[in-house]
Amino acid sequence: MEGLLFNVNNGYIEGIVRGYRNNLLTGQNYNNLVQCDTIDDLKLQLGPAYGDFLASLPPNPSTSSLAARTTDKLISEFRYVRANAVGSLAKFIDFLTYGYMIDNVALLITGTLHERDTRELLERCHPLGWFETMPVLCVATNIEELYNSVLIETPLAPYFKGSLSHQDLDELNIEIVRNTLYKNYLEDFHNFVNTDPEMAGTPTAEVMTEILEFEADRRAINITLNSFGTELSKADRKKLYPAFGRLYPEGSYMLSRADDIEGVRLAVDGVGDYKSYFEATGMGQNSTGAGNMSGGAGSDGKSLEDLFYQKEMEISKGAFTRQFTFAIVYAWVKLREQEIRNITWIAECIAQNQKERIGNYISVF
Amino acid sequence: MSGAQNREAVFPTRQSLGLMKAKLKGAQTGHDLLKRKSEALTKRFREITRRIDEAKRKMGRVMQIAAFSLAEVTYAVGGDIGYQVQESAKSARFRVRTKQENVSGVFLPAFESYTTEGNNDFGLTGLGKGGQQVQRCRETYARAVETLVELASLQTAFVILDEVIKVVNRRVNAIEHVIIPRTENTIKYINSELDELDREEFFRLKKVQNKKQRDTAAQDAEMRAKRDAKTAANQAEDNKENKGSQDILGEQEDADVIF
Repeated sequence: MEGLLFNVNNGYIEGIVRGYRNNLLTGQNYNNLVQCDTIDDLKLQLGPAYGDFLASLPPNPSTSSLAARTTDKLISEFRYVRANAVGSLAKFIDFLTYGYMIDNVALLITGTLHERDTRELLERCHPLGWFETMPVLCVATNIEELYNSVLIETPLAPYFKGSLSHQDLDELNIEIVRNTLYKNYLEDFHNFVNTDPEMAGTPTAEVMTEILEFEADRRAINITLNSFGTELSKADRKKLYPAFGRLYPEGSYMLSRADDIEGVRLAVDGVGDYKSYFEATGMGQNSTGAGNMSGGAGSDGKSLEDLFYQKEMEISKGAFTRQFTFAIVYAWVKLREQEIRNITWIAECIAQNQKERIGNYISVF
Repeated sequence: MSGAQNREAVFPTRQSLGLMKAKLKGAQTGHDLLKRKSEALTKRFREITRRIDEAKRKMGRVMQIAAFSLAEVTYAVGGDIGYQVQESAKSARFRVRTKQENVSGVFLPAFESYTTEGNNDFGLTGLGKGGQQVQRCRETYARAVETLVELASLQTAFVILDEVIKVVNRRVNAIEHVIIPRTENTIKYINSELDELDREEFFRLKKVQNKKQRDTAAQDAEMRAKRDAKTAANQAEDNKENKGSQDILGEQEDADVIF
C-alpha cells in the first residue's frame, strides 16, 4: 500500500540514491587500493569513483586533504539530494544532519567556553551539520548569552530544553553535553520515524528503527566501556543511555551498574549479536585486555568497535533491499562515511608504511 | 719553531732561568692534566654519541607508532578531535625537570621527565566512540615525548661537551706546541747566554791573570836589578872601607847610602 504513492514525491530521490550506492567502492576496488604503493597510485585508483574531486589535489597529497576531498563529494551529493527532497523526506534528511550539528555546536560551545574567536572554528565544522543560524552562534561571547538567545534559535533547541541548563554548559564536561544531546537526538529521531504519518508502519520505520536501535545500543556500550577509569559517575552515565534500543531497559540498567568489562558483557548477554561480538573480541574473559580496537601490538583479531562498524554497514547494506523507504538515504550516507574512513585508513597505512594492518577496512559490497 | 725569535722577552739571568724552569714544569703538569681531562670528556662524548644514535632510532620507531595510533583515532572517531583535546587540556600532565651532572668539571644539564598522576583532562574525549583509541594514542604520544626529552638532554650534553672538548683540546695543543717549546727555547737561550757570559768572564779573568803575572814579573825583574845594583854598591863600599879610613866615627863624611 505504501508503495502506491511513494514514487509521486520520492521516486526520483530513491533512484538517485540507489545510483549513488552503485558508485560505492566494492571489495574488488578495495583490493586494488590495498595494492597501491604510493598515495598517487591510490589517487589514480580512486579516479573512476571520485574523478573531479581529486583532480585538484597536488601530487602525493596528504591523507587529510584526501579525506577532505572525498568528504566534499559526499557533501555535494548530499546537498543535491536534500535540495530535491520534499515533505517528510526533507524532514527526514534534516534529521540526518542533526547528528553532525550536535558535533558542530559542541565545538562552538567549547570555543565559547574558552573564550576563543569562534569564527575561525566555523571552518572546522562538519559541512553536513551546517545550518543557517550557525554563524550567529559566534556572536555570543559568554555561555549564558549563547544559551538564552542563540541556541534557542537552532534546530537543536529541543534537545537542550529540559535536560541542560546554561549552568550545565559551563560546568559539565563538553563530552557529557554532547552525549546528552546525542541521546536526545536519537530518541527524537526514533520517535519521529515511528510517529510521522508518512513513515509510521512503512518499511522506513522498520529499517530506521533497527538502525537507530543499533546506534543507541552501540553508544550505550561504548560510553560504558570508555567511562571506566574516568570521573564520570554511574548516575551521570545512566543519563546518557538512550531510552530505547534492544538493550533497553534491562540491559541499560545493567550497563549503568557495570564496573568493568565483565559487567558490560553480562549486560549485553541478552542480545545474541552483541554477545557474540564480545566473545569474538575475547573481551570479558581477560579484563586486562581492555581495548576496543587493539592498537599497536597484537592486532590479530577485529576489535569491538570494528565489529560494530561492520554491523552498521551490514544493516545499511540491508536497507537497500527494501523498496519505498527513506532509510536508504541514511544508509547511503553511513556507507559513504565508512568508505571515506576506509580510504583514509588505507592512505594512512600507505603513507606510514604500515602495510600489515592495511586490511583493517570494512567493505560490505 | 724558529729558534731565536720564539722565546719570551726576559733578561738572561739566573733568576729568570729558575722562573722559566718552574714554568716549564708547571706547563708539563698542566698539559698532562688537561690531556687526561680531554680524554675523559672524549670518552663521555663517544658514549653520548652512541646513545644519541640509539635514541634517534628509538624515536623514529616510537614516532611512527604514535603517528599510526593517531591514524587509528581518526579512523575510530571519524572526525577531528584536535580542537577538543586542545581546549580541554588544562594542566600539563607530562612535565620535565632538569638537574646537573658533573663530568670532569663540566656541568651537563640532564632533563628528566615525569608524569603527574591523576591528571586526565580529556579522559572523556571520544566517549561516544573511539575513547579507548584516544587514551591509547595519548599514552603512545606520552612515550614519544619521553623519548624526545631523553634525546633533548643527550643533544644538549652533546653540544656542551663538544664545545668543552674543543676548548680543552685547544689548550692542550697550545701548551704542547706553543708554551712548552717557547719555554724550552727561553731556557736554552738563557743557558746559552749564561754560558756565553761564563766564557767571557773566564777569558777576562785569564787576561787579568796574565796581566798580573806580567806585572809581577816586571816588578820582580826590577827588584832583582835593584838588588844587584845594591849588592854591587855595598861591595864597592866595603872595598873602600877596607882600604881607606879605619875610623868610622871619623871626621870624614860618609857617602849617602841610597837604596
